[in-house]
Amino acid sequence: MGIKQLSTTPVGFIFIAYLRAMRGVLFVLSLVLTTGIIGLLHLPLPLGQQRIPALGCFFNPFSGFWRNAEPREGPRLPSELHLTGLRGKVQVVYDDLLVPHIFAENLEDALQAQGYITAQHRLWQMDLAARRASGRLSEVLGERTVELDRMTRRRGLPYAAENAVRGWQRSAEGMRLLEAYCAGINAWIAGLKPADYPIEFKLLGYAPEPWSPLKTALIVENMAETLCGGENDLLSTLALEQFGRHTFDELYPEWNPRQRPIVPDTGQWRNIRSTLQEHRPAPTEGLGRLSARPIEDDYLLGSNNWAVAGTRTHSGAPILCNDPHLTLSLPSIWFQLQLWTPALNCYGVSLQGVPGIIIGFNEHVAWGVTNAGHDVADWYRIRWVDAARTRYLVDGKTHQVQWRVEKISIQGRPPLLDSVRYTLWGPMPYDSQPDHPLYDCALRWITHDEPDPSEMRSFLFLNLAKTYDDYRAAIASYDAPAQNFVLATRSGEVGITVQGKLPARRKEQGRFVLDGSQQSFAWPGFIPNEHLPALRSPQQGFVFSANQHSTPPSYPYYYTSRDFDDYRGRHLYDRLAALRQATADSMTSIQLDNYSQRAADALPVLLRLLNRTAADDEGKKCLAELEAWDYRYDAHATAAPLYEVWFDTCYVRTWDEMLDSTGQKQLLLLPERWRFIELLEKAPTHPFFDRKDTPQRETAADIVTDAFLRMQQFFQKNPDKRTTWGKFRPVVVRHLGQIDAFSREVIAGGHSTALNALSRNHGPSWRMIVEMGDEVRGRGVYPGGQSGNPGSRFYDNLLDAWVQGRYFDLLFLKKPEDLPTARTFTHQILLPQ
Amino acid sequence: MKHTFWIIGWLLVGGILCQVGWLPWWAIAGVGAMGGWLWAKGNSQSFWGGFLGGFLLWLLFALLRDVANGGILSARVGALFLGLPRWGLLGVTGLLGGLLGGLGTLTGYRARVWWHRR
Repeated sequence: MGIKQLSTTPVGFIFIAYLRAMRGVLFVLSLVLTTGIIGLLHLPLPLGQQRIPALGCFFNPFSGFWRNAEPREGPRLPSELHLTGLRGKVQVVYDDLLVPHIFAENLEDALQAQGYITAQHRLWQMDLAARRASGRLSEVLGERTVELDRMTRRRGLPYAAENAVRGWQRSAEGMRLLEAYCAGINAWIAGLKPADYPIEFKLLGYAPEPWSPLKTALIVENMAETLCGGENDLLSTLALEQFGRHTFDELYPEWNPRQRPIVPDTGQWRNIRSTLQEHRPAPTEGLGRLSARPIEDDYLLGSNNWAVAGTRTHSGAPILCNDPHLTLSLPSIWFQLQLWTPALNCYGVSLQGVPGIIIGFNEHVAWGVTNAGHDVADWYRIRWVDAARTRYLVDGKTHQVQWRVEKISIQGRPPLLDSVRYTLWGPMPYDSQPDHPLYDCALRWITHDEPDPSEMRSFLFLNLAKTYDDYRAAIASYDAPAQNFVLATRSGEVGITVQGKLPARRKEQGRFVLDGSQQSFAWPGFIPNEHLPALRSPQQGFVFSANQHSTPPSYPYYYTSRDFDDYRGRHLYDRLAALRQATADSMTSIQLDNYSQRAADALPVLLRLLNRTAADDEGKKCLAELEAWDYRYDAHATAAPLYEVWFDTCYVRTWDEMLDSTGQKQLLLLPERWRFIELLEKAPTHPFFDRKDTPQRETAADIVTDAFLRMQQFFQKNPDKRTTWGKFRPVVVRHLGQIDAFSREVIAGGHSTALNALSRNHGPSWRMIVEMGDEVRGRGVYPGGQSGNPGSRFYDNLLDAWVQGRYFDLLFLKKPEDLPTARTFTHQILLPQ
Repeated sequence: MKHTFWIIGWLLVGGILCQVGWLPWWAIAGVGAMGGWLWAKGNSQSFWGGFLGGFLLWLLFALLRDVANGGILSARVGALFLGLPRWGLLGVTGLLGGLLGGLGTLTGYRARVWWHRR
């Protein structure tokens, strides 16, 4: 029976109708299944705190992560392309380290090309840094960064960036250059398809945004937050309240007599009369509440720079060196490039999002920077008029707080609205936390100030400088974060200037939390440029800085810091003073020097104080190793971990008075390490060596001996730590998005108190040495690579050389054709649209 | 058998279209649906034909990139996904392509059956 006949019977009809319906159902079912699977693969899935990227988007080989797997030889760059806004032809030659050498007909074009090329290699990093500083991380990362975003905004970073742009806008010339740079970045972004996005955008599931001058300002404020956002005001105030003036002065002297300041007193300040020193403002009292801050490793952020005059070099030409110590990251903080125009020829490293070269050299001068470290962030306690804390008194006059409402967008959550009080002094970051000691305090921070209109161009002027005077003029408008600018010229000069907008303080003003109800506690003004510490071609034949004190105490202006360096500066001075016939290789050996002046100061004292009768066989072995140690934190040193644990234990066990019950956090300011060592040496029976939790009275010898036993116990419990320094303290060069798979761990020597200031995750982020002879020759290396793409061999191709202390010759070209073919990666021509 | 080869071939050839920038990442399912409509003979044959086509297409394109890249990125992304080795990552890519190709082809086949016998 055929279907036709079947359908004529009632049962058959129903059966056929059922079959037909089933066909529809099966189709719908398969359609639903397919779209359902597609939908599932299109959604990012939560996995605990993390999110798994949408698997379909991420894995498909047409627009997913495989697209970021660039050819092994390097990225494919078009040999010719057109950019709107360019005025003339720009030639770019990439060398074999993927360093672009940009040859343009004018500065705008050079900067536009710089923006375009920087975005091409580092777009996600730029986006992240701008997000970090604007408190917009949660928009793409979700709830886990909300508190960070909130504090970033509460400290007024976006506010500072808005003010910076307002300042820069007063210079039409400066804005034109900045806008050319932004146009370059935006040209790159505009040409991107989602398939071309850097892999991190794909992982996190968002798209890049256009760049703007505001974002450049955010990058600058990010740097300011890192380099000049710290202070000890609260911890110092609480310590003063707790211990009283006499003990406070004994524990926390500001001047280390063994210090080698950047600029010595040669009588140059004799005629500067500062009346400010006569008045010491009283710190506010009764803050009452305590807040614990983790005990930090000291001196993590810092840098070395120096310039040696021809009298001390083999060639007779000056040599300049710089190694800024920053958080080690992948992609690296720096991007190398050369900028050439008929008026300019400059090579060095740049910051993503900032036009021009930050550290580098041209055909006439070389320059470098270290952080000056002066405290430029102070707290003022507000005296309220009303219970709602909206009106406050200054000099008896009532003022109204201004509200700034911050809207924090959060991935997958409704946005958070946060209102922050702004006073005459500045924002009140903690005004929503009644338990916080700074609940009633406003932050006066130099970073919030509208900068000098030419500040944006300081580095561009430096890029163009030819003489010492050009250099001083270039940096004269540079505000923050204050830096020690070192200089060497081909004409034979060397110099150093502590440059920045630095408050002309009254004595101790800003060391403690200040009374915000009196205008007289405001900064009386700023140190005039001509009074800033500076040194030009001194007799000694070198200038140097390592984040130590700018001057001896005879300098007529008071200043303070969260932590001035006490050790690298001293050792650097000794190394430089011993130089004769120096070459670039001598400089290399100084940059890679693992000798710790602090260990050299402290270990002999510890060994002398130790009661050796307490040492068992293992203890005697440790002692023998320690006694043989040369104070060098070399990767293979086995004594270094012993000393490190011993010293840290002594330090923490001594200052139990300042710590919370866990011994892990400080409630009051901890004395500086140099003062600790001095007390061990000179006042071993000081009452602070006595521990509060024991009935007997301890001395320095008891602390040191007890700490030695604890050190031994530590290594018995953690036998894997009883190893070389390199393995004890592995160095992690972490991906900026905290993705372990994109990070690298390396074994290397160095210590934050050694010139090779390499700690767990901070260190020399760019090592540069430049000889200013007839032919300017530079060498350099940084821990990463030019590409920001984890799928590129240029992502970390310089890292191993950096670990091994090797450098690369920097190819400083006079014309594009000078690049040897063997060292050429590719050529590119950018043309006007 | 011949029809299965047609389907696989079609997914490989048509799948190359997926490189077109504005097409969504799941375009391979659409390509599969067309193949299923034209050549499929049964549920199982359509799914596995489409699966094989989608699997090979995604795998091949990923493999080409990976080989040219020298495995730099797959090592890093593998570490991100439970420490998958390189071939594991390629396998997952293939499986996802296969799943999409297979389901698309099956849907195309079911659509034709439904349409013709309505």
